[in-house]
Amino acid sequence: MNSDKKLLIPILAIIAIFALSLIFYFIFSAPYGDGLERTMEEAGVEGEPVFEAPLSYGDDYFTTFAMGLIGFLIIVGLVLLVGRILGRKDETHND
Amino acid sequence: MHIPDGLMHPLISLTGWIVAIIVIALSVQILNKRLPYRTLPLMAIIGGGIFVAQMINFPIGAGTTGHLVGAVLAAILLGPLAGFTIMVTILIIQALIFGDGGITALGLNIFNMAIIGCFLGWSVYRAVPEKYRKYGILLASWLAVFIGSLACAAELAGSFAISGGLYGITGLIAYPTILIYHSIIGIGEAIITFGIVSYISRVSPDLIHVPAIKAKARKGVALE
Repeated sequence: MNSDKKLLIPILAIIAIFALSLIFYFIFSAPYGDGLERTMEEAGVEGEPVFEAPLSYGDDYFTTFAMGLIGFLIIVGLVLLVGRILGRKDETHND
Repeated sequence: MHIPDGLMHPLISLTGWIVAIIVIALSVQILNKRLPYRTLPLMAIIGGGIFVAQMINFPIGAGTTGHLVGAVLAAILLGPLAGFTIMVTILIIQALIFGDGGITALGLNIFNMAIIGCFLGWSVYRAVPEKYRKYGILLASWLAVFIGSLACAAELAGSFAISGGLYGITGLIAYPTILIYHSIIGIGEAIITFGIVSYISRVSPDLIHVPAIKAKARKGVALE
């Protein structure tokens, strides 16, 4: 279907940009925490997870890339599912 | 800006959950059976794209990083309700599957990033006169991050005050530190959001939800 081909291009573009951006992430940012994490460090407090998440973002390029792909696919699938539940077939805008 | 478990006072976390559930319920009620099927693939791709974009932290100096939130981007491209739906989906998956943000803090994370980002960010963007809408993208994106971080600091300070220091962080540290970092992170958010919206308005104006941008792009008027 034509619309499927149209979707393939942005999907591949997102994956390609992600793959390239990860290189810069690991060169410049990987060891550092974000704004909230730095604030917690400075205040000397830590979080306490109430459960063990099944996956993590990983510490090396290939693991993080794989986790990004897995997360991307989960989000795409879940948004489509939620959209099918909330959506309707006609052409009306939502708001 | 994903708050982990164990940081906030349970009362503050519970309040976040209540607010989040109310807003989600209202959004579902408004959106129900009004979301056209043809927008679903776009929603899904934008959702997946925002998820991977959030994994890329960029340096802001002083050994600190920030990352795109993407709520204003989602709201501009899809409308605030559809944008909110994908932001909530992302935050749930991040917490449940990747342990990024706590389960008890999920309500607060939805409030700080999805509710403030999609609804306040969208409102700010729409409040800017049409002539200056391009600056509205920058302003809305920056403000969404800044106000979201202000809310986060208030939650930390509130938790600290309620618990006598057992939870949260004293406001003397929380407010200045978080606000300084996020005023810089917000600049990154604004630049990325502006860049993506500008690009999409050129190559595929029909994908954009906001009528003003769509009309301008169709006439060949660049956003920059």
